Amino acid sequence: MADLTASVPRRDNTTRLLLLPGIIWMLLFLITPIAMIVYVSFWTQTTFNISPDPTLASWKQFFSSDTYVGSLWTTMRIWLIVLATTFLVGYPTALFVGLLVKSKTLATVLLVICVIPFWTSFLIRVLAWRPMLGKEGAINIILLKLGVIQQPIEVLLFTELSVVIGMTQIYCVFMVGPIAFMLARIDRNIIEAARDLGAGFGRIFWKIIFPLSLPGVVVGAIFVSVMVLGEFATSGALSGRKVNLLGNIIVTQVGSLKWAMASVVGVILTVVMGVVIAGFLRIVDLKREL
Amino acid sequence: MESRVLKPILAVYVAAFLLFLYGPFVVLTIISFQQGPEGGPQFPIIEWSTYWYQHLFGLTPPSRIAPLPVGEALVRSLVLAFMTMVTSTVLGVMAAQAFRKRFRGANVIFYLIVLGMMVPGVLTGLGTSLLANNIIGIERHWYSTAFASHVVYTFPFAFLVMLAILNRFDASVEEAAWSLGVSPITTFRRVTFPLIFPGVLSAMLFAFTLSLDEFPRTLFASGRDQTLPLAIYGTFSVEIHPNIFAFGVLTTLFSFALLSVYGILMAMSVRRARKMAMQEDIT
Repeated sequence: MADLTASVPRRDNTTRLLLLPGIIWMLLFLITPIAMIVYVSFWTQTTFNISPDPTLASWKQFFSSDTYVGSLWTTMRIWLIVLATTFLVGYPTALFVGLLVKSKTLATVLLVICVIPFWTSFLIRVLAWRPMLGKEGAINIILLKLGVIQQPIEVLLFTELSVVIGMTQIYCVFMVGPIAFMLARIDRNIIEAARDLGAGFGRIFWKIIFPLSLPGVVVGAIFVSVMVLGEFATSGALSGRKVNLLGNIIVTQVGSLKWAMASVVGVILTVVMGVVIAGFLRIVDLKREL
Repeated sequence: MESRVLKPILAVYVAAFLLFLYGPFVVLTIISFQQGPEGGPQFPIIEWSTYWYQHLFGLTPPSRIAPLPVGEALVRSLVLAFMTMVTSTVLGVMAAQAFRKRFRGANVIFYLIVLGMMVPGVLTGLGTSLLANNIIGIERHWYSTAFASHVVYTFPFAFLVMLAILNRFDASVEEAAWSLGVSPITTFRRVTFPLIFPGVLSAMLFAFTLSLDEFPRTLFASGRDQTLPLAIYGTFSVEIHPNIFAFGVLTTLFSFALLSVYGILMAMSVRRARKMAMQEDIT
C-alpha cells in the first residue's frame, strides 16, 4: 500500500499499478474459465473422458432432448415467477422501511432484522423448509389446528410451489434492500409539494414514488436474477428432484463426468444471464447509482 | 400521504413479512431440540432434549446415525474464508483507490470487476474446474482453485464497498497533509487509512461471511477435501437428522459473535477517529 501513495505525481502509473492485480485475477479466474466452458462445449465426449476434437454432438444432443430443453424453460419460468414474488413481497416492506418510518434508527434496525437470517448457512435455511412445508409440517399443523383446513395440504412440499416459496423467502431481502435504499433518498419536499397541489396518494405513488424507486427495483431484480438463474440447491432439496433447472443439469452432468454436456448447458446459462443483465443495465446505470 | 391509513396496514404487513422470513428459522430451532436418536426432523416433538447438540460433539453413545463430518471441514472453511477476506480486501482497496481518478477504460474495468459477483457460481466453478483439469492439469483443492473462485466472488463486493466510501472521501485532507510536507506513506497511514477503516472493516466482513457460506463455486472447484457447506450438502442426498438443524443454530450463534466483534471494532474506530480529529497532530 505504502509505495502506492508514495508516487503521487506519477498518477497514471499508480493507477495502473493499483488496478493490475485485480484485472489479472479477474481475467485468469473469471474470463478464462468462462471462455473454457465455451471451448469445452465443442469437445468430443467419450464415456468417461473428453478430448479436444471439435464436434457439435453435445449441442445437437441438448436441443434434441426434451429433458434438457425443458430445463431451460423451467429455469425461465421459475426465474420469472420468483422475480415477481420477491418484488410483490418485498416492495411493501421496502416502502414501509424506506419511506414511511420517520426515525432513521428504526429503519436501520428493521433492515438489520431482515438481514439476520442470512447468518444461518444457506443450505440449512433451504433444508429448514422441509419440516415447515411437509405433510406433517408446521404450516399444516397450524392450519389444521385453526380449522382452516380439514386435510393436510400435500402439494406444499416436493413440488414447484415449494421451490418458489423457498426461493422467495431466501431472496426477497435482496429486493427489499436496494428499493428501501432508493426510497430513503427521495426528497420529502417533492411529496409535500405534490400533496399541497392536491394529488392523492395513488397519484403521488405512481407519478413520483414508484419512478424514483425504479433503480432500486432494477438492482434488486439483478441480484435476484443472478442467484435464481444459477440455482440448483433449493430446487434439488425442495422439489424432490422434480424441478430440474439448468443448474441441476450441470451438476448431474458433472457428476457423471459428462463435461462436454455440462459445458453446453453452461454456455446456455451464460447467454441467458448475459441477456438478462444487459437488459436490466439498459434501464439503470449501476455505476451512477452508487 | 394518507399515512394514517397506510402506515398501520403496512406495519402489519411488515410483521407478516418478518414472520415469513423467520418462520423456517424458528422451526429449525424447535426441531434441533428433538429427542434422539429416534426423533426425526419433523413434528411433533417427542420430547425436548439436547441430544442432537451432544451428538454434534460426539458426546452421545454411538448410534446408527453417523456424526456430521464437520470438524475438519469447519477448520478448512475458516482458513479459506480468512484467505479470501485478506486477498479480496487488499484487491478491493487498491482498485477502488485507482477509481478515485478518471482514466481511460474505467467503465470496462468497472464491469469486469463487478462481473465477478454477477456470474452464477455454477459457471465460475465449472469453468475453473475445466481449466484445472484439462488445460493446466493440476488437482483441484479448496486452497487453490476454490480460493481463486472465492476471491472472484468477494473482490467485487469489497471493491464496491470501498468505492462507496471513497466517493464520500474528502481528498483535501490528504492534500493538506502533503502540502505540510508529510510524506505520502505517513499520510496514508495516519490520514487516509483511519478515514477509510470502517469501509475496510465492512469489506472484510462481507468477504469473510460470503466465503464461509459459499457453496456452488466450492462444489466444483474444490477437490476431495470438503469445506463446511459441502459437508452439509453431503447430507442432502441421504437422510436428514435434526443434528444438522442443531448445527445450524450453533453456526448462527457463531455468526452473531462475529458480527459483535465487527460492531465493537467499528465503534472503536469511530471513537478513535473523533479523538484524532480533536488532536489534529499529524506528524
